[in-house]
Amino acid sequence: MNPSVSPANSNAGETRTLPVIFSGKKGEYLKIWLVNMLLSILTLGIYSAWAKVRNTQYLYGHTQIEGHRLQFLATPLQILRGRIMAVIVFGLYVIISSLHPIANLVLMLLLLVALPWLLIQGLRFTLRMTAYRNVRFSFDANYGGVLLHFIVLPALGALTFGLAMPWVIQRLQKYIHDSVSFGGHNFTLNSSAGYYYKAILVCIGLAILYFIGLGIFGSGVITAISAGNPAALGGMVIIIASYFIFGYVVAAVYQSMIRNHVMNNLSIDGVASFNSSVEVKPYIWLMLSNSLLLIFTLGLAYPVTQIRKNAFLAEATLVNLQPAADHLVNTVDDKYSAFGEEAAGLFDADLSLT
Amino acid sequence: MATDSLPIAGTFQMAGRAEAHPAVARINDNGSVQIIAANDQRPLHYSNAQDMRYGDIIPGLPAELIFADGARFIPNDASYRWPGLSTAQRLPAWLEAHWLTVLAAVILVPGFVWLMVYKVIPSAAGASVQYLPEFVATELGEQTLDLLDRLYMEPTQVSRAQQEKITDEWHSILQRLTLPQEKYRLYFRASSIGANALALPDGSVILTDDIVELMQDHPEQLNAVLLHEIGHVEHKHSLKMLAQATATTMMFAMMFGDIDGAGEMILGVGSSLLQSAFSRDMEREADAFAYTQLHKIGHSPLDFANAMRALMTSHGVSEEHLHNHSDEGDEQNDGERARDVMEYLSSHPDTLERIQAAEEWQPEAQ
Repeated sequence: MNPSVSPANSNAGETRTLPVIFSGKKGEYLKIWLVNMLLSILTLGIYSAWAKVRNTQYLYGHTQIEGHRLQFLATPLQILRGRIMAVIVFGLYVIISSLHPIANLVLMLLLLVALPWLLIQGLRFTLRMTAYRNVRFSFDANYGGVLLHFIVLPALGALTFGLAMPWVIQRLQKYIHDSVSFGGHNFTLNSSAGYYYKAILVCIGLAILYFIGLGIFGSGVITAISAGNPAALGGMVIIIASYFIFGYVVAAVYQSMIRNHVMNNLSIDGVASFNSSVEVKPYIWLMLSNSLLLIFTLGLAYPVTQIRKNAFLAEATLVNLQPAADHLVNTVDDKYSAFGEEAAGLFDADLSLT
Repeated sequence: MATDSLPIAGTFQMAGRAEAHPAVARINDNGSVQIIAANDQRPLHYSNAQDMRYGDIIPGLPAELIFADGARFIPNDASYRWPGLSTAQRLPAWLEAHWLTVLAAVILVPGFVWLMVYKVIPSAAGASVQYLPEFVATELGEQTLDLLDRLYMEPTQVSRAQQEKITDEWHSILQRLTLPQEKYRLYFRASSIGANALALPDGSVILTDDIVELMQDHPEQLNAVLLHEIGHVEHKHSLKMLAQATATTMMFAMMFGDIDGAGEMILGVGSSLLQSAFSRDMEREADAFAYTQLHKIGHSPLDFANAMRALMTSHGVSEEHLHNHSDEGDEQNDGERARDVMEYLSSHPDTLERIQAAEEWQPEAQ
């Protein structure tokens, strides 16, 4: 570790702007991840709880602000208990729903009812187990609020033929961020729906350009197919590849715009604010190259892609810490079940805050 | 005291508060630890050996000392390791840092996945479906038929006489093969899925109007297709597939529990490729069943080969029906047909192979 990043004393009286330093190394983390995967397999999945804790500790511990490392405080046994319960529930769900199409409908309804709860539990666990300088984060959304923002508003948004969707997404992300707190200080997200519309319009513009190009190229390919021209095969490959790349370009443009907007308008009341400057082109390349890495290694490069993404995002982020940050007191206890978090993961109801 | 070791420089992070101080830790002879502020030598914390523990040892990260109240001492030197650390606590990090174990992981992890997916899960699924009570298949079959009727099927247009003719012939074949007539019931339905037959887990076989029309002059071909379909039922293929898919999904969920986004997409693609690989094996198994049964009743597997051929060309033919009436856009017509055939071949890549297998099949080889 670089000795120059040792913690400064809390004598600064004014807001200080600090970089987020990510020091994780690809090779090092790849080794950790692989060995943990091996141990998980050899122990029939039991070690996977330890693996999760160690992997997360590596990624968190290598993330520093002002010489202080992020802490992941969950214990393996806590994760293991949650994981076992979640796997049992998920297994029953899969078996019952595939054997009995009618029961499947009932279960889907139940899942819909449980979904807001799972989302809350999942995020609450993750945030409560995350700490900076021994002060934990927390998440205090309520069932009604999540139901409104995750199910009711999107359903209403769909009725407007998607016209209201950017607004719905803005409300949803605002609600989620506003429910987070750190050391008793609430997060506030002052995002604007207008910016979400702007991001969507940019993506629609890109899509129009792409499909015009595709139409011109595609009609050529169809002519080649009917003529029995072998070059048609190459044309098909190009179309499929371009579609793949197009997906990543649009996702990267949207995500980078929204990430910058959210981070730049996010603050922890009286404690901190953030700056984000994710650039579109390098971000497109990051996402595209990461997915190619995953495909060509059959998923084994997953840890490498994580390091690359974390390093990239840390590089693009600044934190403005106010003096109050040095005097925060933890308000969250450490007793919390991991069931919701694990179940949320299995049912694909997990959220992340980036 | 403090005669045996040098003080360790680091940060003292107070319990439950953000306050932190640059400090040094001194380890005493009896294992107790004293934390002293770096700037004014003020004592910050004292702990007996039994009231503290070590944080996990993670490569590249400092080893923390965690006190009973939650306060921490974090050494500046990320490679510093406390003398009190046990071998067990050092073991995971040691394993994670050694290329030998990493190499073992690189070989064994994919090896394990391969073994589970191709050997363990299929044979476990095959063994376990034998013990599934009959009502599971019955229930599943009835509900699937119900669902299909609502979504994809329309009442048949095939005449009652023809239905009876086909059913009677089918019953006589079942009788000669001592297969239960009440189990392998035929259902006639009109459907947009084209010329096709499908068997449900309980033994119900659905015939689309298109396939009845396609093979009305070749009842022996239709019977070959029906025997192939009930081959799936005899081998309990759909239940096996279900058990296999469930077990594989569970395994991947356990292994890659915290993979998100793109990772999930790739796993999804992988498992659908797997499913199609297994479904090819199942097709071959059902084919073999059909050949054997055809042979038993003195028919030839060539009936099956001809049926496959008829099914393969039926798409091109039906396209022609649709477009023949207009003379304009001939080029487009050709293109559509070419695409249709390509589409058909990509979902049934080895139809030609299967036709060949049927033609070459020898009873004594089985």
